[in-house]
Amino acid sequence: MGQPFPYLLLPSIWASRNRARRRQPGDLVRGLLFGVVGLLVFVAVLWGSFWLTWQLSKYAELGDYLLRLGLAWLFLTFLSFLAFSSVVTALSTFFLSEDLKLLMATPIAPRRLFHARFARTIGQASWMVVAFLVPVLAGVGIARCAGPQFYVTALLIVVPFVVIPVAAGTAATLVLVNVFPARRARDILMLMGLLFAAGIVVVLRMIQPERLLRVESLPDITGFFADLQAPAAVLLPSFWAGEALFTSLQGGRDWLHGGALWTTALGLTVLLGAACERWHFAGFSKAQEARKARFTRLRWLEGIARVLPLSDVRRHLLIKDVKVFLRDVSQWSQLLLLLALVLVYLYNFQVLDLERVPYMSGIVKNVYALINLGMAGFVMATIAVRFVFPAVSSEGPAFWIIRTAPIALRDFLWSKFWTGLVPVFLLTETLTVLANEFLGIDPFLKVASAVAILFMSLGLVGLATGLGARYPRFNAENPTQVAGSYGGVMFMVLAVLFVIVACALVGWPSSLYLWHRARGVPLSTFQQWSVALCFAAGAALSLVTWWWSMRSGVRALEEME
Amino acid sequence: MLVQPGVAPPMIAVYDLVKKYGGFTAVDGVSLEVTPGEIHGFLGPNGAGKTTTIRMIAGLLQPTAGRILVNGHDLASSPEAAKASLGFIPDRPFIYEKLTAGEFLRFHGGLYGMDGSGMTDRVNEMLEMFELSRWEHELVESFSHGMKQRLVMTAAFLHRPRAVLVDEPMVGLDPRGARLIKAVFRRMSEHGVAILMSTHTLEVAQEMCDRISIILKGRIIARGTVEELRALAGSDDAQLTPVFLKLTGGSGLQEIDEIV
Repeated sequence: MGQPFPYLLLPSIWASRNRARRRQPGDLVRGLLFGVVGLLVFVAVLWGSFWLTWQLSKYAELGDYLLRLGLAWLFLTFLSFLAFSSVVTALSTFFLSEDLKLLMATPIAPRRLFHARFARTIGQASWMVVAFLVPVLAGVGIARCAGPQFYVTALLIVVPFVVIPVAAGTAATLVLVNVFPARRARDILMLMGLLFAAGIVVVLRMIQPERLLRVESLPDITGFFADLQAPAAVLLPSFWAGEALFTSLQGGRDWLHGGALWTTALGLTVLLGAACERWHFAGFSKAQEARKARFTRLRWLEGIARVLPLSDVRRHLLIKDVKVFLRDVSQWSQLLLLLALVLVYLYNFQVLDLERVPYMSGIVKNVYALINLGMAGFVMATIAVRFVFPAVSSEGPAFWIIRTAPIALRDFLWSKFWTGLVPVFLLTETLTVLANEFLGIDPFLKVASAVAILFMSLGLVGLATGLGARYPRFNAENPTQVAGSYGGVMFMVLAVLFVIVACALVGWPSSLYLWHRARGVPLSTFQQWSVALCFAAGAALSLVTWWWSMRSGVRALEEME
Repeated sequence: MLVQPGVAPPMIAVYDLVKKYGGFTAVDGVSLEVTPGEIHGFLGPNGAGKTTTIRMIAGLLQPTAGRILVNGHDLASSPEAAKASLGFIPDRPFIYEKLTAGEFLRFHGGLYGMDGSGMTDRVNEMLEMFELSRWEHELVESFSHGMKQRLVMTAAFLHRPRAVLVDEPMVGLDPRGARLIKAVFRRMSEHGVAILMSTHTLEVAQEMCDRISIILKGRIIARGTVEELRALAGSDDAQLTPVFLKLTGGSGLQEIDEIV
């Protein structure tokens, strides 16, 4: 009972050690793939950060000013991300985590439990930010030839900077779990997701970075920087972190902002600890009741399913899948983040003023259209790995119901396919059509892109469904775990290859056709055949991928023991 | 030292316990006492409030009203002292799947302040008792349901609790496992451990329990030894099942006939 709080972190450490010792088939491949991808991203971020800082250093005072502003904005972005992420993480670590049922029945002092859970929340909520900050700050340091003092300061700044938003997010969770009706504990996720998504869009609209590209609005640039500075308020920890680092970069020591960060972090931790001691058990007890959560009956869904031309079995499978998905907030709330990113993506196309490139605008637009097709393909692959690939695994221990029911596993898998295809296709098709509309590209490319998306959806959703059935993880705790499994990684690798090949098969003939048309030169017979062949090959690639994946998935299910 | 049940002050004492979920009252004024060495059965139909009551005593749910004392410690004001005397065996236990049985037990013991070689000896002794010794270094994820159940029981008895809460102990156990568990419970009660056991297996309750409380719709409707309950129900049946059905209202056979 007198053990210090890190003792409570031992199960996670031991479990990681055991996982490393007892590798499962595919673990090494997955580790290598993740390692290589991670290393590439690290090097790319490091290089990008180095290059940008190097370029800025050529502009003396303006460069310094921009770097300072950039640091403040970088930390501000991470501040909001951390605050949101910690609300979601704290809900799990402090209230919904399965091991709490074990720990809460043991004689652990509430303060020790708080410290252990808070440390876990910080780790889970911030590892991504820290992993990104390391190459960014290293790049800045290398470009500015900073001494060891800068790196030590960076470490001393990042620690309290991470603690502050996580403490604030955890406090928000504590309040929400205690204040809201207990049965809605999980709905908080949705609320926070919406707020965060809206926040991103609003902030981006406020800044309008495209103004920098307009030559005629040069006098407005001062206004642009004034806007940039506005959210970097002096009372925010992001500003303190940025200032302290910038001072250190110039060889100085900013005790004021460093001190502000540490005192705030420690003060918030102490206050949060006291609050948890007082209200955590009440919140935890309420969160237990959330098992009997309020839910929507979704009668409209049954009405829609009834009018669809489906067999009874497929209709019931569809209704079950959609209900399970919509009633699990942790599932669809992730769509909100995706939606926010899609909105930002579309917004970028809307504000892209390519008419200012008078002679090249047509070509540039068409190149953008092809990039857009590739991006839509990657969005499709991301959604598919997160939402379609885990479809079979999501049956979990309840899969016996399907296996013992008098239905063909073929019907079951095809039901999963159609349930995944419709939303994925609609989302990516809308994304592509809207983006192309904003760009004002050639009608030929508009049609080619729209048709390509249809075929790519069939291929990618088929691949995700089929591989999901080949490599199911029925014992996974959540779909993210399934997506990160060996099969999930394999799907992503194949999906990226598929998107690249498909884009090439659509892009090359389209460019050839448009180039000839722009010059008024007709295509030769050979070129016409090549164009037709490429389009046909693109369609065939999608159809074969679709057919082969589904067939292989059905076989895997039928051979499952 | 063997302890005679019923003569010492209660090890688990619950007074006027209430739990409300919004407008629904799951537990409505439950009071009960379990003395050292007593095995107290807690029976009731599904949804009667057994698990809710047990989870409140274990410190997992906050009561709406009422008082819970474990080994004389008030669970609300001295939760650590109360929980230190308690062992809890839930119906759906959580075990860290990626730990070995030995690691899990050592971690669990540490939570109760156990340490050093004393703990190692105790872990070995308990693994032996629950017939899990040869699985000590295996990951929990490879265990069958019955083995997991036995492991949770090993953990619950590891720190020599004065009182144990058991929610549905026989679920998923094979006959050999069930016999083992019964023997362990009896042995523990002989050594003064108070056991409050919720179960649907009436034969187990009849065979093992010194006293039984029957809960229905959140209220205790009957309490006593099997003989006393039989008398209360006005039943001559040797088995507890008909007595339980009489007390909790009907067998449901009539309805089954109507459906069939």
